[in-house]
Amino acid sequence: MNPTPWAQAADTVGAFLVFLGAAICLLGSIGLVKLPEVLSRSHAATKPQALGILLVLVGVALRLRTGIDAGTLALIIFFQLLTGPVASHLVARSAYRTGGVHADLLFDDLDEQLSEEPDMPRSHPRPDPDREDAAPKDGPEDGHTPGGG
Amino acid sequence: MITWSARSPELPPYSVAFGHGRHRRVLDLPLVVWLAVIWVLLWGTFSWANLVNGVVVAVLLCLAFPLPPADLGLRLHPWGILKLLLYLLWDMWISGVRVTKQIFVDYPHRAAVLAIPLRCRSELMLTATAVAVSNVPGGSVIELRRATATLFVHVLDADDPKALETARRSVWRTEELTVRAFGSREEIARVSADPRQEDAT
Repeated sequence: MNPTPWAQAADTVGAFLVFLGAAICLLGSIGLVKLPEVLSRSHAATKPQALGILLVLVGVALRLRTGIDAGTLALIIFFQLLTGPVASHLVARSAYRTGGVHADLLFDDLDEQLSEEPDMPRSHPRPDPDREDAAPKDGPEDGHTPGGG
Repeated sequence: MITWSARSPELPPYSVAFGHGRHRRVLDLPLVVWLAVIWVLLWGTFSWANLVNGVVVAVLLCLAFPLPPADLGLRLHPWGILKLLLYLLWDMWISGVRVTKQIFVDYPHRAAVLAIPLRCRSELMLTATAVAVSNVPGGSVIELRRATATLFVHVLDADDPKALETARRSVWRTEELTVRAFGSREEIARVSADPRQEDAT
């Protein structure tokens, strides 16, 4: 198989995309170490990762260049983007419900609503005095003024 | 006895029902097609034998593990899907860059949990929106309340009112594009309304 200019160009672009994707994943991993707590870390763990895997797989597709492989890679991207949020949501949700994230939050709309639910016992005391002055939540109009900094 | 969904309105669209009573099974044809496509893609080669096997496996799967015969309200709008994909790609790029910046700027982030009321009501659309939001800069989804269709997202840098506004707008935009790509007609009408007016009622 002698490489045509187009094949070479696709190879080069593919290699570049794989490199870029890997670099973005690396940055996300650094963020995972650097950021302070679970929920912030979940930002670093999900967003750059999703972009990174997308770029890596597109790069691989550019090097493979067959229809059926592209289909398989598209399937991988699809399931990756579909399942990643589920995992990160479960981590965020369990981290939130077991407590330990409230002290770091500026304000917390969810906390009040959870407290209102009678069938959902709260396992942790509410340590956040910042939100005492806020009106009951019923929409975005009431404009969250950041209290205390 | 075989019934096509075109003949009986209580079946979901594009499905076949056969059998009676307890043994009645409903085959969702788009689901069968989708499973067969996955089968062929996973094998990595296209051949007719492969395709036939895929269809057989898909039908057996649907018969062995029947889903409730409900209309999920999934409609495919090709143009909307294309727009959604382009928007998501663009947004993933932006959010990747932004989160990377936030990682390397050395100041304490004041994060917050923000409630964002959504306009769509169908469960599938809420789920799709939450999944889409998870991949874009709106924030990480912590909780989705189905009864009030409220999405709770975790936002970095919440001490900036502009950032909160951006997060809300981004989520609403994602919601609208998602529903325009996959939603039924009523849902599309719902998300066309201004989110703030809807919320005031």
